[in-house]
Amino acid sequence: MDVRVCGILVVVLAPFAGAALCGILGRSPSGRRAVVLTTGGVVMLAALSLLGEVPFRLEIPAVLHAPLEIAFFAADAVLLAAFLYIGAKYRHAAILVLSFLQAAGLLVFKGFLARSAGPPGGVVCDALALLLVLIVSVVGSLICFQALPYMDNHERHYRVSPSRQPRFFAILLLFLGAMNGFVLFNDLGSLYVFFELTTLCSFLLIGHDRTHVAVKNALRALWMNSVGGLAFALGMIEAYRSAGTLDLAQALAAPRLEGDAIYFVALALFGLACLVKSAQFPFQGWLLGAMVAPTPVSALLHSSTMVKIGVYFLLRLAPGFPGTFLGQALALAGAFGFLAAAALAVGQSNGKKVLAYSTISNLGLMFACIGVNTGSALLAATLLLTFHAVLKAMLFLSVGAIEQHIESRDIEDMRGLYAAMPLTAMITLAGVVMMIFPPFGVLLGKWMAIEAAARHLPAVVMIALGSALTVLYWARWAGTLLSDPLGTRFHAERQPLLTWLALGSLCLGTAALSVAAPWLVEGGMASIGQPADETAYTVVRGGLESASGSFAVLPLSLAAACGLLLSALALRRASRARPVPPYLSGLQTGEAAVFRGPMQQPVRVAARNYYLDTLFGEERLNPWVNFGGAILLTLILGGVL
Amino acid sequence: MTAGALFVIVALAAGLGIGVISAGFDRILTARLQSRVGPPLLQPVYDVVKLALKEPLIVNAWQAFCACTTLAAAILAWVLFFLQSDLLLVFFVQAVGAVFLVVGALAAASPYSHIGAHRELLQMLAYEPLLILVFIGMYLETGSFRLEALFAWPKPLLLRLPFLFLVLAFALIVKMRKSPFDLSSCHHAHQELVRGVLTDYSGPLLALAEVAHWFEVALILGLFTLFWPDGGVGRFLLPVAAWLGVIAVDNLTSRANWRWMLGCAWGLGLGLAIVNLVWIR
Repeated sequence: MDVRVCGILVVVLAPFAGAALCGILGRSPSGRRAVVLTTGGVVMLAALSLLGEVPFRLEIPAVLHAPLEIAFFAADAVLLAAFLYIGAKYRHAAILVLSFLQAAGLLVFKGFLARSAGPPGGVVCDALALLLVLIVSVVGSLICFQALPYMDNHERHYRVSPSRQPRFFAILLLFLGAMNGFVLFNDLGSLYVFFELTTLCSFLLIGHDRTHVAVKNALRALWMNSVGGLAFALGMIEAYRSAGTLDLAQALAAPRLEGDAIYFVALALFGLACLVKSAQFPFQGWLLGAMVAPTPVSALLHSSTMVKIGVYFLLRLAPGFPGTFLGQALALAGAFGFLAAAALAVGQSNGKKVLAYSTISNLGLMFACIGVNTGSALLAATLLLTFHAVLKAMLFLSVGAIEQHIESRDIEDMRGLYAAMPLTAMITLAGVVMMIFPPFGVLLGKWMAIEAAARHLPAVVMIALGSALTVLYWARWAGTLLSDPLGTRFHAERQPLLTWLALGSLCLGTAALSVAAPWLVEGGMASIGQPADETAYTVVRGGLESASGSFAVLPLSLAAACGLLLSALALRRASRARPVPPYLSGLQTGEAAVFRGPMQQPVRVAARNYYLDTLFGEERLNPWVNFGGAILLTLILGGVL
Repeated sequence: MTAGALFVIVALAAGLGIGVISAGFDRILTARLQSRVGPPLLQPVYDVVKLALKEPLIVNAWQAFCACTTLAAAILAWVLFFLQSDLLLVFFVQAVGAVFLVVGALAAASPYSHIGAHRELLQMLAYEPLLILVFIGMYLETGSFRLEALFAWPKPLLLRLPFLFLVLAFALIVKMRKSPFDLSSCHHAHQELVRGVLTDYSGPLLALAEVAHWFEVALILGLFTLFWPDGGVGRFLLPVAAWLGVIAVDNLTSRANWRWMLGCAWGLGLGLAIVNLVWIR
């Protein structure tokens, strides 16, 4: 069989097969382990095998049309029935109403409007789709690998019996399959099925622990994402009415008429669906609530799946935006999300919450770039998408490992972490550094975003403010990780092999990808979104250059490596120098952080980070950011009418 | 290759020179304003040499790592500026140094350096957006972020971007940790924090941080030269004028708190910048 057909079949179907096997063999730990590792490995290899093949399009053979159509219709029916059942079971009115509306709309659509929709649109695998398939397959699989030891610990800690891990891993794998399906299929009807399947998976995973708060947050995720589902369904119907086809590539290529309002209605509805999936204001609640789930779930939702659907789909639709009011509104909404989420992150001391707000913030920046919609802005969005996925997975997995070790996810409790778990602390620190500093990929993306958005004044002002806030909350965390007390010698702590495999490969992978960024851009990233643009980047002496700026990636990487080496030598020398206690106005006692207080009593020094909650606390900011988000959403939807 | 090495050496010498002269004159001028004679011009150099020769006393070994990175980043940013690289890139590289100084201070347990570090972060929060907007203004006017193109721009940017010049001067005050924005650290212990962010850096590590600060100040002063075209005496006068203004403000005002500073930067500074940006668009 052709390598293309084979690769596509494996990346989409193997996770489903793995999920089914997990249900059968998952009872025994070794069986579960074998199924997850094999599925992950096979999917990774299949995704990598597609590397040299893009772009291509595969048509679905005619014999399969009818069965596929029935299968997708059945899947639709089952999914919506499941949502209705959940809504009824928990007496949740919003879920019931939203699912009912989707079901009704779909019945009318399939029954009356789209009877002659033609053959399903096949599979389109271009640079964008392949990028997402690689992220889902490689990063997603690594997260599943790390989840194996994590969930063993988790169940031991919470004394879960009988084990609920077969179900957990089956859903995890199902999620990867649904993502790959969403990314590769070209037919809006099939996309809708995969879109809803990811909603169901996230509901099940968030509620996995079955505590009161887990169920509550899972329901919140479900109703919010059902708003997205309804928007997607309506967008699909509008797109069919205006373009006459459900084939996405064809619909986007169809000539656009001047003032063709319906076409814009479809785009705006898809935009709404994407904003919900990517947890932009005012829909941030579901993603923040998702952190009650075991940490691998957060890692999966934040990095390679779910929230990336929104960015992926808008990048896919990007050719429809240039010169439209919709693009302008999206740029504003995205930049607002970037700023607001960064401000909220400043007010948090909960590590997972800081990571969650940072995700929302970065996704906002990606949306802003897609809204600005020049060639360089789209490239910035693509770079941010890639590097954010890899890094955020790594940071969540580190925080998960830290949490299981120190039994807290609060940044304040991570003081002196370097003494307790030096290697994990180092990897987390590396993650922070790669999030905000040159020459690493996220900053390369941000640099490109600022240069691309420079002519969009409101957006660029918000991006400038947001960047400064971003530096603040990351720097604070980095300093806390290194703080006293230090261990005397570097002893790597004990962690399961799979944990080190996931953390190490993600960390080294990000660094390697950052150095290779210019060639990634040259090798296909630049073609994502729209091809021709006057400010395309060229690779000159290992750096990226455009007409208006340059970023010397390779020379800077070399300089950074030299700087790192020198600083590491300084660290080594300093570890052998005479240690002294910190400055305490000359009142030290024999112990390092204790001073003589009133009445000669020993007082322990305590210092806490600034979280500035009078300015940046959730209670203070939430009404404003929700209001702002709602206004901008109205702008996006109202602007097209 | 030798030409390249020579170029880097010239760049380093220039940065050091500007930083030392700025620090030395600052102390003389401030002393005269306070009816004192003041130290010799090269006093900052003597201080740094003395610090460098002291025995290293280490509170937290990571401070050595951080001080070293701070200096490396400050030098790299200055060299990139000298090599006429990308304006935003220079800014991002200097931010690495600024952040690592804070990280090192946070690593030590002393509450003085801790509070100093957080105040330094707030100072960065105040000046970073302003600097980015100044660069955006230069881009809107010249169509480029490349220093090469900016240095060669034939018209005086000052006439088109007067408010952004003021905003940059504002950023210079914060960056030089001068009153009223000497929250994080100050020579005169005005903020009752000992030396704030620098408290637990001592001996050779403090020398590294001090030299890094010279390069940082040289970089910001260098940015003022972009406001005047090549060949004009203005290219020299503008940074000097801005510097004198900063010293004057330093001696005329007393310390503000961080809320006031943030209000000033995000209200007044941002307002001025936006007005100027709207006007040239």
